[in-house]
Amino acid sequence: MEPETPLVEASGVSRSYRVGTERVQAVRNVSLVIRPGEFVALQGPSGSGKTTLLNLMGLLDRPDRGAVRVEGRDGESLSENDRSDFRRDRFGFVFQTFNLIPVLSARENVEYPMVLAAASKEARASRSRELLASVGLSEKAEVRPDLLSGGQRQRVAIARALANRPSIVFADEPTANLDSRTGEQILDLMREINDAGRVAFLFATHDPAVVARARRIVTLHDGEIASDGAP
Amino acid sequence: MIAVVTFGFAAFALAGGFMAQSFDALKEGTIRTVGHLQIVDRRAVGRAEEATLEFGIQDSRRARSIAARDPGVEAVLPRIEFVGLATTGPRSVPFLGVGVDPEPEARATFARELMVSGRYLTSADGEGLVLGTGLAGALGVKPGDRVTLMATTPDGSLNAVDGVVEGLADVKIKELNDRYLAAGLGLVSRLLQSGETVSKLVVFLRPGARETEVASRLARALQEAGFPVVLRRWQELAVFYGQVKLLYIGIFGFVGAVLVVIVILSAAIVMTMAVAERTREIGTLRALGTRPGGILRLFLAEGITIAVVGCAAGMALALAVRAALNASGIMLPPPPGGTHGMPIHVKLYALAYAAGLVSMVATMGIASFFPARRAARIPIVEALTHV
Repeated sequence: MEPETPLVEASGVSRSYRVGTERVQAVRNVSLVIRPGEFVALQGPSGSGKTTLLNLMGLLDRPDRGAVRVEGRDGESLSENDRSDFRRDRFGFVFQTFNLIPVLSARENVEYPMVLAAASKEARASRSRELLASVGLSEKAEVRPDLLSGGQRQRVAIARALANRPSIVFADEPTANLDSRTGEQILDLMREINDAGRVAFLFATHDPAVVARARRIVTLHDGEIASDGAP
Repeated sequence: MIAVVTFGFAAFALAGGFMAQSFDALKEGTIRTVGHLQIVDRRAVGRAEEATLEFGIQDSRRARSIAARDPGVEAVLPRIEFVGLATTGPRSVPFLGVGVDPEPEARATFARELMVSGRYLTSADGEGLVLGTGLAGALGVKPGDRVTLMATTPDGSLNAVDGVVEGLADVKIKELNDRYLAAGLGLVSRLLQSGETVSKLVVFLRPGARETEVASRLARALQEAGFPVVLRRWQELAVFYGQVKLLYIGIFGFVGAVLVVIVILSAAIVMTMAVAERTREIGTLRALGTRPGGILRLFLAEGITIAVVGCAAGMALALAVRAALNASGIMLPPPPGGTHGMPIHVKLYALAYAAGLVSMVATMGIASFFPARRAARIPIVEALTHV
């Protein structure tokens, strides 16, 4: 059977950062392919390059060398506006610190990507209702983030990430700021969404309990892939 | 930030209203002194006022009658301007005199309002005199006292007449107050032996009449009747008005510029801080798909919203302060050359409010632009990891 077209493909990407007077090589010559519907954990110790690789594959950053292709298109050849549109329409993001807009309610946070995509008011209302229900927060739709628990905030962030029906969700340490039980619930939720809708997930983590739920595990060490395969 | 815009707008509106009121008062005062238009013999233009009778308007009664027929004309006042020496015997003081037709003069000008003692002239042919309080003090006279006036006639001979002080006027320009003397046309004509000749005809227009149109019609009518005259508008005659107006514009312009600079600096600081405080939020918005231009527009919109809200609050503040000031009865010091102050009065000047709104919106837009552009250019990863 012919393999599916990759959703996101990193080919020999490297990225370094200046830290003080030194230059730190965060990712070196990494190649990685993510296909539709995959549920992939990027694991490794702090400083191994997980977040940097996630940012590069999510078009949040540009590599010093190598290329990132998204749905068959060269990410480096896209303009900044095209990259923004790609993230808006095809990608979802979940952050370690939730990153909800503090002045917006849960529903408004979920609707924000749809506002950017110029969805109608009715479509936004219907989709946000559906998503908040799917993450179990129908009752909290009009509540602002500062009145929600950490787990509830991350659920809102997941609902927001799914607003424009992305092909892949990038999650950077999605459970790091949650207690273990809540973290497990969030992982279960992500897995359910993955099972139900063929939305791929690529999440960075160093939590073994989280890694255990992945279907594919990519291990990074000193900016290089040390291993890649099923658990 | 809204408070800065509020106070900035209120200062704009109040200063503009005060300036407009000052200009209106100055204009009205000027017109009530020199008239809307003056009809003079064209040979008298540019000569010293004391010499103008030599080139005065002869047969002034007919010229006055022709001018008064124009539908835009309210009143035509003949005036003879001259210089001479007033004496009581022991004391002699030079004066700047004006011969007038008392009744219409009093109706059209401030003549009666200036009286502080006695009364204004009652007859064009009587012996009555009105002296500035400064001149009266120098002569040591009061209403009822006799004064002899001496002057040179247009043909160069010296003549004298006696007059009676009917009243004292407090002329608002000190130098003029020390030399001011008014008398009826008849008495002045006898003194100068000038017959029907006057220095000029001062024309006051009806409300709504257009100066330039009336001036053209009067010039045509008088020239067709054989009078070699020119018409001069009040703006040409009142150099003082133009100078004071320029001075006010300079002062208020400077204050306005300072206000704009204060608002720009404050807004730039506040917007720069807002960008710094919301760097992570900017990173999140960018990650979710907001274009760089969207971030730029977001911060510009915030700046302009602050400007509009601040202006609305500023308008309420300006109206309240205006009402309080106008009710306060605070007296302002006299204008340059004046001897009398006037109560403060701030006009509701729509143009100042509009200019304030435009200035504040433009100022906030400019002040917000550079921080907004910086926000739009922050690398996403850097913004997301900002502490």
